Amino acid sequence: MALLVLLVALVLGAILYLMYARGAFEPTQRLVLTADDSEGVTVGMDVTFAGFPIGRVQRIELAPDGKARILVDVPNTDAHWLRTSSIFTLEKSLVGGAKLRAFTGIPADPPLPPDAERALLVGDMAAEIPRLLQSAKDLLNNLAALTAEESALGTSLRNVQGVTEKLNGPGGAIGVLAGEDQKARELLRNANSLVVKADSLVGNADKRVFGDKGLANDTQAAVQQLNALLADARNSLKKLDAVLVEAQAVGANTRAATEDLSALRAEVDANLRKVEQMINELNRKWPFKRSEPEIKLP
Amino acid sequence: MNAHRSAIAWLTSWWQLLQFAALLLTRAMAPSSYRRDNRRMLSEQIVVATTGNLAWFSVLCALISLVIIRIVVVTSASYGLSRYALEMVVRVLVLELVPLTAALFVALRTTLPVGVEFVQQRLAGHAPDARAALRTQFYPRAAAGVFAVWMLAAVSCLLTLVLAYLMMYGFTPWALPGYTRVVGQIFNPAVCLILVLKIVFFSLAVAVIPLASSYYTGASSPLRRIRVAHGLADMVRMFSVILVVEAASLMGNYY
Repeated sequence: MALLVLLVALVLGAILYLMYARGAFEPTQRLVLTADDSEGVTVGMDVTFAGFPIGRVQRIELAPDGKARILVDVPNTDAHWLRTSSIFTLEKSLVGGAKLRAFTGIPADPPLPPDAERALLVGDMAAEIPRLLQSAKDLLNNLAALTAEESALGTSLRNVQGVTEKLNGPGGAIGVLAGEDQKARELLRNANSLVVKADSLVGNADKRVFGDKGLANDTQAAVQQLNALLADARNSLKKLDAVLVEAQAVGANTRAATEDLSALRAEVDANLRKVEQMINELNRKWPFKRSEPEIKLP
Repeated sequence: MNAHRSAIAWLTSWWQLLQFAALLLTRAMAPSSYRRDNRRMLSEQIVVATTGNLAWFSVLCALISLVIIRIVVVTSASYGLSRYALEMVVRVLVLELVPLTAALFVALRTTLPVGVEFVQQRLAGHAPDARAALRTQFYPRAAAGVFAVWMLAAVSCLLTLVLAYLMMYGFTPWALPGYTRVVGQIFNPAVCLILVLKIVFFSLAVAVIPLASSYYTGASSPLRRIRVAHGLADMVRMFSVILVVEAASLMGNYY
C-alpha cells in the first residue's frame, strides 16, 4: 500500500513539476514576431533578454503574405522587460541552434501591449561566410599582384636598393642627390665657394653693424635722445597735474558760491515782498489817489 | 517440412503469448482478482518484487548515472558545449537508459526466475490447474513485475534528474530556474507520452513473456518441453520485444 502511494506520489509530482517547467501555471501574454525566414526557430525555444529566458515560442505559422509568424508566450511577470521600442533578433551561429533575443533600449517607454506584432531582425552568421570568403579572396589577389615580380612595389623596392647602394658608395648622400659622381664633385666645389662668399658677407655685415659709426652706435644715440624727450614729457605732465589741482579748487569754490546764492535769493525775495507792502501802503495812503498808473515794480 | 512445422510452432507460440496477455488483462480488470483472499498474495508479490530490487537498483543506477553524467559534462566542457550537456544527459539517461535498465533488472531478478520456477513445478506435476492458478499465481506475479518496473523507472529517473542537477551545479538552489526550464523544454508532451508508453510496454513485456510459456506447458509436446525447460527462449523473446519497443520509442522521439 505504501509502495502504491509512493508510486502515485512520484508520478503526480513528476507531472506537476513538468507542467510547472513548461509554464502551465503562469499567466502569459502573446507576442507575434514576423520574419521572412523562420529557419532555426523551433517550438519551445526560449526568447532571451539579457541572457535570461523571458518567453517561449508556442507556435510557428506561415502567414498569407508568405511571412513566418512566430507566436511567443511571455509570462506576465517578465513582460515588463519588453517595451514598445524593444527590438527582436534571430541570431544563427555556426555551432548550436538559433537564438531569439529581445533588446530594450529605453526602459521608460510604455510596456508592450498583448498581441503586439513586431518584425524580427535576422542575423545569419552562416550567410556571412561566403561574403567573407569573397573579400578574403579579393584581398589575397591584391596582395599577390602587389608582390609580383613586375609590380610597382617590386620596382620601387629595387630602386630603393639602388639608392642605398649609392649611399654606401664614394659619393654618399650628395651622390644620390646629384646623380653622377662628376656632378657631385662639381656641386661640392660650388658649395665650398659659396660658403667662402657667405663668410666674407658675414664679416662685412659685422663691420657695418657693430663697427665705428656702425648701425649700433647710431641706435644708441637715438635711444639717449629718446630718454631726454621722455624726461621733458614727464615735467609737462607734472605741470598739468598742478593745473588740474587748481581747477579742482575752483570747482569747490563755485559749489560754495551756489550754496550762498540760494540764501541771497531768499533775502531778495523777502526784500521785494517788503517793498511791495510798502508800495501798497503808499497807494492806500496817497492823498491824491489817481487812476494813474501805479508804481510798477519790476 | 521441418521448417514449415517450426514456423507454425513459432507463430503458435506468439499467438499463445498474445492470448495470455489478453487473459492477464481481463484478470486485471476483473474485481475477483482483488478479493480479500487474493489481495494478500497480490500485495505480497508486489512488495517482494519491488523492495528487493528497488534499493539495489537505485544504488546501481546512481553509480552508473554519476559516471555517465561526469563523462558527458567533462567532454562537453572540453569542447565548449557545456550548455548542451544537461539536455544530453537527460535525453540519454532519463529517456533511454534508465527505463531500459529498470526493465532488464526486473526481468533478470524477478520475472524470469519466476517463469522458470513455474515451468519446473508444472513439469514435476505438482502444480494446480493453470486456469485456476491464473488468478492466484500468474496474475499477482505479472502485476508485481509491472509494478516493479514502473516503480524502479520512476524512482531512478527522478534520482538521475537530481544527480544531474547536483553534478552540474553543485549544492546550490540558484540554478533551479534554468534547470527547470531546460527540463521543461526536453519533456514536451510528445516525449512524455512516448516515455510513459515505453515504460508501460517494457513492463508488460517483462511481466508477461516469461510467464506465458509456463502457462501453456501443461499438455505439450516433448519438443516444446525441452525448449521451455532451459528458459532461454523466453529470454530471447523478451529481449527482442524490448528492443522493438526501444527502437519504436527512438523513432518516435527523433523522427
